Amino acid sequence: MGTGREASVSLDGVRDKNMMQLKKLNTVLFPVRYNDKYYADAISSGEFTKLAYYSDICVGAIACRLETKGGTMRVYIMTLGVLAPYRGIGIGSKLLNHVLDMCTKQNVSEIYLHVQTNNEAAIKFYKKFGFEITDTIPDYYINIEPRDCYVVTKSFAQI
Amino acid sequence: MGASLPPKEANLFKLIVKSYETKQYKKGLKAADAILKKFPSHGETLSMKGLTLNCMDRKTEAYELVRLGVKNDIKSHVCWHVYGLLYRSDREYREAIKCYRNALRIDPDNLEILRDLSLLQAQMRDLSGFVETRQQLLTLKPNHRMNWIGFAVSQHLNANASKAVEILEAFEGTLEDDYPPENELCEHTEMIMYKVSLLEESGAFGKALEELHKKEPKIVDKLSYKEQEAYLLWKLGRPAEASKLYRVLLSMNPDNYRYYEGLQKCLGLYSESGQYSSDRIEKLNALYQSLSEQYTRSSAVKRIPLDFLQDERFKEAVAKYIKPLLTKGVPSLFSDLCSLYDHPRKPDIMEQLVVEMEHSIRTTGSYPGSDVKEPPSTLLWTLFFLAQHYDKRGQYDVALGKIDEAIAHTPTVIDLYSVKSRIMKHAGDLTAAAALADEARCMDLADRYINSECVKRMLQADQVTSAEKTAVLFTKEGDQLNSLHDMQCMWYDLASGDSYFRQGDLGRALKRFLAVEKHYSDISEDQFDFHSYCLRKMTLRSYVGMLKFEDRLHSFPYFHKAAIRAIRCYLKLHDTPKSTAEEDEMSKLAPAQKKKMKKQKKAEARAKKEAETKIEESTACGVSKSGKRNVKPVDPDPHGEKLIQVEDPMAEASKYLRLLQKHSPNSLETHLLSFEVNMRKEKFLLAFQAVKQLLKLDAENPDSHRSLVKFFLKTGSTSSPTTEAEKLRCSVLEAERPSISQLQNKSLVEANKEFLGRHEDSLVHRAAYAEMLCLLDPSKKTEAIKLIEDSTNKVVQQTNGALGVAREWKLKDCIAVHKLLETVFLDSEAASRWKSRCAEYFPFSTHFEGKRSSVMPDSVYNSSLKSNENGDTPNHPMGQTELNDGQLEAFKSLTVST
Repeated sequence: MGTGREASVSLDGVRDKNMMQLKKLNTVLFPVRYNDKYYADAISSGEFTKLAYYSDICVGAIACRLETKGGTMRVYIMTLGVLAPYRGIGIGSKLLNHVLDMCTKQNVSEIYLHVQTNNEAAIKFYKKFGFEITDTIPDYYINIEPRDCYVVTKSFAQI
Repeated sequence: MGASLPPKEANLFKLIVKSYETKQYKKGLKAADAILKKFPSHGETLSMKGLTLNCMDRKTEAYELVRLGVKNDIKSHVCWHVYGLLYRSDREYREAIKCYRNALRIDPDNLEILRDLSLLQAQMRDLSGFVETRQQLLTLKPNHRMNWIGFAVSQHLNANASKAVEILEAFEGTLEDDYPPENELCEHTEMIMYKVSLLEESGAFGKALEELHKKEPKIVDKLSYKEQEAYLLWKLGRPAEASKLYRVLLSMNPDNYRYYEGLQKCLGLYSESGQYSSDRIEKLNALYQSLSEQYTRSSAVKRIPLDFLQDERFKEAVAKYIKPLLTKGVPSLFSDLCSLYDHPRKPDIMEQLVVEMEHSIRTTGSYPGSDVKEPPSTLLWTLFFLAQHYDKRGQYDVALGKIDEAIAHTPTVIDLYSVKSRIMKHAGDLTAAAALADEARCMDLADRYINSECVKRMLQADQVTSAEKTAVLFTKEGDQLNSLHDMQCMWYDLASGDSYFRQGDLGRALKRFLAVEKHYSDISEDQFDFHSYCLRKMTLRSYVGMLKFEDRLHSFPYFHKAAIRAIRCYLKLHDTPKSTAEEDEMSKLAPAQKKKMKKQKKAEARAKKEAETKIEESTACGVSKSGKRNVKPVDPDPHGEKLIQVEDPMAEASKYLRLLQKHSPNSLETHLLSFEVNMRKEKFLLAFQAVKQLLKLDAENPDSHRSLVKFFLKTGSTSSPTTEAEKLRCSVLEAERPSISQLQNKSLVEANKEFLGRHEDSLVHRAAYAEMLCLLDPSKKTEAIKLIEDSTNKVVQQTNGALGVAREWKLKDCIAVHKLLETVFLDSEAASRWKSRCAEYFPFSTHFEGKRSSVMPDSVYNSSLKSNENGDTPNHPMGQTELNDGQLEAFKSLTVST
């Protein structure tokens, strides 16, 4: 794919001054209203939460939560999404690659997320980056069908 | 100085002066007290002590001491000089000049005093005095460059440019050939350029050019040199050489509009009005074609032809201009093209073009006739442009459709919400506009511009409290609202004053409007420091430019607006006599209670006064303790309660009216207010003058017509003249009446009828006619109302208007008519009929309670408040799912590429 014209894509962090951009994205990307804890987690994750700008327009974001488990750091991807008109030009990959890079730099043991079991596109997407389905949680979702979700994980070899 | 003192005290006196200059006021005060112990009536010491205290914010004592000093030693130039300095520090320049003159009478050659005097004369524009003083300074000290320059500048300001040139030439005669030294090249350049501009101003273009060429090696500002040279060559009728130079300048900066203008002038292809014959358009087109090949990166060379090209050529050029900017995403594109909307056909052409682009991008992903895929953002910017286009054309529903679509496409672009807010404002829903501006603000809390825009919208919607809270987000810590005042934030003063005015709080409104006036006098004060600074630094051209700017300071829009609004406040104060409510209350009470009330009131007033003096004292002490200067005293009247207690509002209004008449004589509003004020003051001849000015400026304006009729109705109806003055007035009016063409051999009724005849199709004119009809003959009220109701709101002819319709009537005119029916005709039924009719035309208007406005419970705005979606997008079908994390729907459609 591609657009025939090159437009620059850049990433920027989330702060309280521009948090509304992330909220706006989530409002249209996900059928879920996120609570304050989501945004607090996102901001405190620092480099692990990023907005993507397509020629100075904010079009996508990845938001993660940092967890520590037995002295090692885990990253949970809360959301990753790109506005519909701007899909298919590598912005999602760029966001995920950035976070994966950060994981290697900061010695993260594993990174994981939840995906609805019928979301094949997403599963395929994550598998390309070395993620694997590691678990199934029944009845994870309350209001949507199917209600089950997979846990999708990528582990990093510890040095 | 201090000559009459013995040596020890004389030394102490020198110490006072030195301490004053080095701002060590405490030390100076000690020394002064030491002298005064021995010589308690020594005038100069008393004066200096006063001056020192003045700097420590002890004004009253300062004036007492300085006056005592002058009294004790009236022959001392020091005492008079100090007195002058004291007045100067309080901006009492006229008094200061008097003191300096007294000082000079005693010591005529005192350089310091002469210099100080010259600064004051420049500030007060006492130009002949300024020339005199500068001449004296030059005679006394001719070896000073600054004195030559100062004398020349004074002559120039006194409208004698050629004399100024002579002085500069004489000065140059005193210079060595190798002048100037390395470190004064810039100053010398400035002097030469100033001289050239003087020659130019006196019309000696040939000499100016000669001078320029002669001094070329000494001019370091090569750009100014070339600009000046090109201009002079053109003025001298040597366009071939001039155009060559303009082309050189263009190669240095191909985005400077003045160079293009200069080049066009040299080629005989320039017209002030922007109107050109088809033959000249051909030539211009060819010129810009070749220039655009030369300067491919210039945007000016692409933009300018859009102004003169017509029809097909325009269409082609504007399409070529717009496309890359939509692709790139330039939010200011519409503002850039906005001026083209004054043209009768260009807006239609642009509409057609951009609508075609929109369609093509939607269906093929490319511009019409192209197979290059556009980036996804192009559709967004196209919709954004169209929204502003339809807003400009008054088709608000179409505009809203476009902007909503853009928001749905990319909800993160802040400009979309700002534009939507503006559309809602134009459509008449100020509450929704404020809410949208706030939404925009929240998306970037670090952006002062959108913060300010939001504050303004909130004020327009009369949400003063939230506006203030929002405004202070960007002021300095501490004294928040005062800091807005210190920053001379005039749009804020005006918008906030307007809001208070609408809410009937005249005190606070006046407070804001008068603050603007204060800012302007501060700006005028601020020039004082530049009189010495600019002469020293030799920035002569900008100095003279600044003085000219200051001279027309009060004609600037902010001042104009503030003065007009202040006068309106005073008019309202005059029309609603104060404390009627209070009196009503009093009259209901029994006499004994009345007495009690009065007593209570008095006690309250006393307590208030005491509190105020306490505040004043406490600030005074605070200052002297900390010894700091410029600590602001507490405003004794923060809500303008005292302002509305003014004895004679019309006298206050007249003060601002005079400034308007002097600085904005071409504004209709100036004379309209002059009419209103002078009618109330019963100064009929002045009111008549205002009427004549109105007729001269725009005789067909409805307000001019109203004033004319009202004036002759009033002056015709007053009983036969009794006093001499009244008789005189009558005879003047009688003599003048025939000179007014509208009234020649006609009664007012006939004149009114003819006015209608000329403007049968215009709502505002019909309303003015109807109002006057009823005024002249109250029995015709029904006829008048029927005439208004019979007006028709025509559809504006559109060539390719597929989307919606635009009608002629403006929202603000319809609101004015509604108020007329309600408050002048006092016919609530007609008013409500008018209201429901206009609600159809203006569905977003809160005033008319249109069905899509935010006052209606099921409006778009209110449902969006509940769902809190991006700029009114409809509720998500999924509703509100309570979940912590979600990796759902979005991924189904997220196609991923590598």
